[in-house]
Amino acid sequence: MSGARFDELIHPSTRLNLVATLAAADWAEFAFLKDRLNLSDSALSKQLATLEEAGYVATERRLEGSRRKVRARLTAAGRSAFDGHIAALREIVAGASTAEPPGR
Amino acid sequence: MREIDPEQARAALDAAGRARRQVAEEVGLPRGYWWAMGCGWVFLGVIGQFAPGWVVAVATLAFGAGHATVASRWLDGRRRTGQVRVSAQVAGRRTPLVVIGMLLGLVALTVAAAVVLEADGAAHAPLWSAVLVAAIIGFGGPEMLRVGRRWVRA
Repeated sequence: MSGARFDELIHPSTRLNLVATLAAADWAEFAFLKDRLNLSDSALSKQLATLEEAGYVATERRLEGSRRKVRARLTAAGRSAFDGHIAALREIVAGASTAEPPGR
Repeated sequence: MREIDPEQARAALDAAGRARRQVAEEVGLPRGYWWAMGCGWVFLGVIGQFAPGWVVAVATLAFGAGHATVASRWLDGRRRTGQVRVSAQVAGRRTPLVVIGMLLGLVALTVAAAVVLEADGAAHAPLWSAVLVAAIIGFGGPEMLRVGRRWVRA
């Protein structure tokens, strides 16, 4: 298990949803991600490109019949960053719970 | 670390959990799998009704072998659609057990239905019970699997 590390790149809500979705899958097709995350083609392409540049996501273009399909998966670095980010968020939440005075 | 509010952290964790659950809902088997199994069930019913015992035994073994071959690839429930492959961790190890449990339950249901139909004087009771269970498999397979997974928290 990786250590807690807040990740600025992952934290924005759209990217967090995207990375969390990919973290639960071995791979996902562009159409699936677009539908589940309710994003336009260009918005999803942009987010995937940002994550790919950081080495968090790998995409693969395949020709299926006459249609070109894009598949995305989280890399080991991306998975580790996501795990670290979730651990950091949990620490923040846990820290707030212990800091609250009793009776609140 | 960037300063973020505990409430924001909680909201982010909730969002990540929702995304995971959304992928977990994709666990299952393709609809075609269930219909193919239903067809196999009817075929066995026909054989059981009209063919001699050795043919029934061979057909049952062939059905079991064919299913086992397909099952080794599909039973983990990670490929319900061609759009996503759910990770093994999210699919859980119990999904194949749920499918096998369902099959055993359906066999028991087929036998029970045949006994009831036979007692009621119906002609071709084994065949009709197979047709009944095949329809249940074809129309309700995905839903039964979903409910079964929920029961065992797979």
